Amino acid sequence: MTVYLLCFALLLVGVYGVLTKRDLIKIILSLGIMGYATNLMIILFAYKNGAIYAILTKANSLNGKPTGPMVDPLPQALILTSIVIELGITAMLVAMSIRLYEKYKTFDITKIRRLSG
Amino acid sequence: MKQNEGMTLIVKTVTRVSVWLIFLYGIYIILHGHLTPGGGFAGGVVLALGFLNIMLAYGRKYVEGWLNIKLMKDIESSMATLFLALGILGMSFGGGLLANFLSKGELFRLLSSGTIPILNILIGTKVSMALFVVIYSLAVLHIVKGGEK
Repeated sequence: MTVYLLCFALLLVGVYGVLTKRDLIKIILSLGIMGYATNLMIILFAYKNGAIYAILTKANSLNGKPTGPMVDPLPQALILTSIVIELGITAMLVAMSIRLYEKYKTFDITKIRRLSG
Repeated sequence: MKQNEGMTLIVKTVTRVSVWLIFLYGIYIILHGHLTPGGGFAGGVVLALGFLNIMLAYGRKYVEGWLNIKLMKDIESSMATLFLALGILGMSFGGGLLANFLSKGELFRLLSSGTIPILNILIGTKVSMALFVVIYSLAVLHIVKGGEK
C-alpha cells in the first residue's frame, strides 16, 4: 500500500509543478513527472513477490515451460505503448512552445495572454 | 586549426569511433527482441540516439550532407505500410491479423518465433527514423528574431 501512496505523491509533485510554475519548459517537465508516476503505479500492480520477469530464458525454463511464477507481462507491454505516446506528446508540446516563443519572445505564461492577432 | 561547426576535435574523434558501437548495440537489441528484454522500440531509440550523437558532435550542416532526411522520412512512412502488409499476410495465411505464418523454429535460437523478428526490425527502423526526424525538425525550426511586440 505504501508504494502506491508514494506513486500518488509523485503524481502530486507533477500536479504541483503544472499548477504553480510559470515557465513553459517546467510545465512540460511536470507533465513528464505525472506520466512517470502513472507508469510506475501500473508496473507496480503487476509486481508479484518472488516471481521472475516474464521472459523465457534457458536458466528459468524446462522444455519451454517456466519453472517458477512470472510477473504479469500485460502491464509492461501497456507501459511501453504509454511511453511511446508520452514521447509524442512531449515532442508536440515542445514544438508548440517553440512556436509560442517565436511569437511572444518569452516562455512566461503570465506574459502570454493575448488570444488573437 | 579552423574551428567550423560542431564541437571540438576531441569530441568529433571520439564520436567517430563510438557511434558505430552505439549502432551495433541498437541492432543487437532489435535482432534479439524475441529472446531478451528490449525489442523494436528500445533498439530503435538507441539507433536514433546514435544519429543524435552525430548531429550534436558535427553540427546540423554536416548531418544534412551525410544523411538524406527526406529519404529517412519516406522509409519511416513505408515501414508502417509494411507492418500492415505483414498483418494482412497473417490474415490470409495464418488466420488472423498479425498471426504467425512462418515456422516457429527452435526455442532460444536467433532465427525462431516466426514473424516476430521481422516485425521487430520494421518497428526498430521506424522508431529510429521517426525519433531522429522529430529531433532534427525541432532543431532546425527557424526562430524569427524581433517579431511583434
